[in-house]
Amino acid sequence: MLSRYAVKSPWLFRINTGSCNGCDVELATTALIPRYDVERLGCKYTGSPKHADIVLVTGPITARSESYLIRMLDEIPEPRVVVAIGICPISGGVYRDSYSIRGPLDKFVEVDVNVSGCPIRPQSILDGVAQAIGIWKEKIKIFHKA
Amino acid sequence: MITLSASILAYLFFPGGMFAIIFGLLLLGMERIAVARFQGRIGPPIFQNLFDVIKLRTKEFLVPEDATNRLMFIIAPFFGFGGMMTAIFILPVSGVYDGAGASSDLVVLIYLMALPAVSHIFGGSSSGSTYAAIAVSREAILMFAYEITFVIVLFTVALQAGAGDGALFSLKGIVDYQVRNGSFVHDLKMIPAFVAFVIFMLATLEVPPFHIAENDGDVMKGYYMEYSGMPLAVFELTHALKLLVLITVLQIFFMPGLAGGSIVVNLLWYMMKSAAIVIGIALVHASMPSFRVDQAFKFLMIVPVFLALLSLGLVLFL
Ligand code: SF4
Repeated sequence: MLSRYAVKSPWLFRINTGSCNGCDVELATTALIPRYDVERLGCKYTGSPKHADIVLVTGPITARSESYLIRMLDEIPEPRVVVAIGICPISGGVYRDSYSIRGPLDKFVEVDVNVSGCPIRPQSILDGVAQAIGIWKEKIKIFHKA
Repeated sequence: MITLSASILAYLFFPGGMFAIIFGLLLLGMERIAVARFQGRIGPPIFQNLFDVIKLRTKEFLVPEDATNRLMFIIAPFFGFGGMMTAIFILPVSGVYDGAGASSDLVVLIYLMALPAVSHIFGGSSSGSTYAAIAVSREAILMFAYEITFVIVLFTVALQAGAGDGALFSLKGIVDYQVRNGSFVHDLKMIPAFVAFVIFMLATLEVPPFHIAENDGDVMKGYYMEYSGMPLAVFELTHALKLLVLITVLQIFFMPGLAGGSIVVNLLWYMMKSAAIVIGIALVHASMPSFRVDQAFKFLMIVPVFLALLSLGLVLFL
């Protein structure tokens, strides 16, 4: 019952693990420009990982950001959905096989949605978030049964 | 017995309790829509803040490992919530509800209004987060500055409503006086106090330009930083109630005019006035950048205090 209304308010949290900033720029534009206004879906960027429902991870997870990523993911309360944004966290992308890369993201956490592209298109971000909402709804149900 | 159960009803359902929470959340949703429209966006649905609260119910609550005081961290949100529930219970709504009927409830109001900030300060400082610590110091500085304005405005209104023989510290009395003699917002003497009160309201609600203690861009979420789940939902509810309380106080002090004889008409009129005030707040919200904390402190210590004192002087000596 609750999950039906709860999914109308997904709060997004961005983690940048050493991306080239291309994907972050795209993320900022989807929320901030009128054309792709994601507040319509109830989305809101939050500053704190403790408020997050949907985590958007960009970047190939460099050696430096690895420990911060793990700590950050630990601080996000269940039920949550992890979305890999761009080709970087999915496979390493253009940085693949570099000496300083500890990715891909699914070594650290179960990834729910992969949104590929380099950089990703705003439309595919919206699509990815919409899919993440669907998965999140199932997760809320499971979380409250357990 | 009857008055007791009527009070309990008023506290839990109408105009306090359920009604106030839902109406407050709708007003917050309306503010978000209005801000979005001013920025050329479509904005969220009007029930958005209600959904947010329901969502937060389904989330886990985490207490940080390095919280300096776990118990305080958990109970802090409820101070502000309780304070606001009580405030909305003692406030009269002109033509609809008479308030709790104590004879000096204006004085009680000063203390109740400070409670949400107190709960931010307790919660933030016991969470052990650096961001929260910065936010708490900023909130304390701001609170020090804007409470002065509030007290002066309140005293001005009380004096004016006393009509020559001392100050009148009863909210019901202030409303009645204005219903008989015309709203204070039409009175030239009271205009500076009105402006000062609006500035106080913006500062308490922390909409830009007073968006210093919970500014996403520099202290992330401020004192909410470590909160998740239910307590965060309580903070949301407190914020909604605070908005409603401030709007109601504004209407009591300056514009409690009646629209007609029946309760329903007056209630609709009250809701319409509240909506109009919220849209005004949204206009300021959408068009202002943020102050730095020292600028905000200087501004709050000079402009609204001066305006409020001007009104007080006019009321005392004219
Ligand atoms: S996917 Fe491409 S655009 Fe995005 S962060 Fe990686 S390299 Fe940059």
